[in-house]
Amino acid sequence: MKLTSRYEQTSCRLVLEGLPDLSAGQSSQTIGILTGFSLALAGKTELEGQRDHLQALLNVVLPYARGLISGVARPQGAEDVPVAIRPVDGQHELELRSSQPNTPPLRLPLDDAELSDLVRCLDRLQLDPQVAVPLQWPAPQPLRRSELRHRLPLARRVAAPLTGIAALLVAGVLASLLPTPKPPASAPAAVSTPARGG
Amino acid sequence: MADAPVQPQRSLSRRGLERLDLLLLSAEALDLNGGEAMVWLSEEMGLTDLFPNRVELWKRRCSNPLRRTTRRDRITEAEADGLIRILNALADRLYPMLRSLLSSAEPPQLSEQRWALFRGRLQELLKERFNPRRGGVQRLLDPQEGPQLCRELIQTMALSAGSGGFTRLKASLMDAAA
Repeated sequence: MKLTSRYEQTSCRLVLEGLPDLSAGQSSQTIGILTGFSLALAGKTELEGQRDHLQALLNVVLPYARGLISGVARPQGAEDVPVAIRPVDGQHELELRSSQPNTPPLRLPLDDAELSDLVRCLDRLQLDPQVAVPLQWPAPQPLRRSELRHRLPLARRVAAPLTGIAALLVAGVLASLLPTPKPPASAPAAVSTPARGG
Repeated sequence: MADAPVQPQRSLSRRGLERLDLLLLSAEALDLNGGEAMVWLSEEMGLTDLFPNRVELWKRRCSNPLRRTTRRDRITEAEADGLIRILNALADRLYPMLRSLLSSAEPPQLSEQRWALFRGRLQELLKERFNPRRGGVQRLLDPQEGPQLCRELIQTMALSAGSGGFTRLKASLMDAAA
């Protein structure tokens, strides 16, 4: 018996289709084996794929959203994976690469609202008790200092060290202008040789 | 994804606390009854052990160093989690509004009016409750820098809404100091 699970949020609709994995002791209402999924993003083509494509989608979209919530829009998705996402002109571009040779990748522009709709659909899928498909969910982690660094504008980042170096140079120049203390004018007093004791 | 280890026992940093309180303030700017909604949601979610009344809830928010009257006592991890849960629920309630602010499909004039209304209310609340001598507050009030920072607040709230928003926002509030 085929089961479907739908997640809808304004501009995004994610539908999973599958079968219960009764051999794993799951209930007959739980999707344990994914036979396919479809993703419709407002005004764009409806995408269809298998478990690997869904895994690739959440592998890039969730870490991207995680960065964005900290104000860091970092491109996600290496050359050899089917899905990638990157910031483009204040928006986001989802790139879907076909496994067929000589097929150009499909690029879907998403605005902030459409991206958060997609993220909410994926979040709901993750916590849905009716879906037990083996998927790896990237856990959100705090960002390290190096990952946050480019958030500050360059001018503000280099301002403190540059001010320090400038202050040191000014102090050095001023110190070199100070007259060096002259040696005392009077000749040193003659030192008498001590009389030898008999 | 960052490979920094999760430290579940760590409470929020000063910067994390500032952002969390600013996000709660943004929820109040979007919803005139936001303050009441926080108390109601706190009761609804069974957080009365952490925040028995509105004064305790207020006191926890006043651990934010950007406040005019700030409290020195550090907020515990359970209290921080409680506040993040409240924000998560508020963002969920306000999601249609957050979405319409972020959407590029809205008529530009209407969108600009909504942004102006939100920024105006947020600035009023900032002037009333926050210390205007702090750089973080001045940047939010700055006509050049403010709008972009306001957009970041709304985007953060939109991505904090819903079921997965709690862990995402908590991880973000625990970022290393920039």
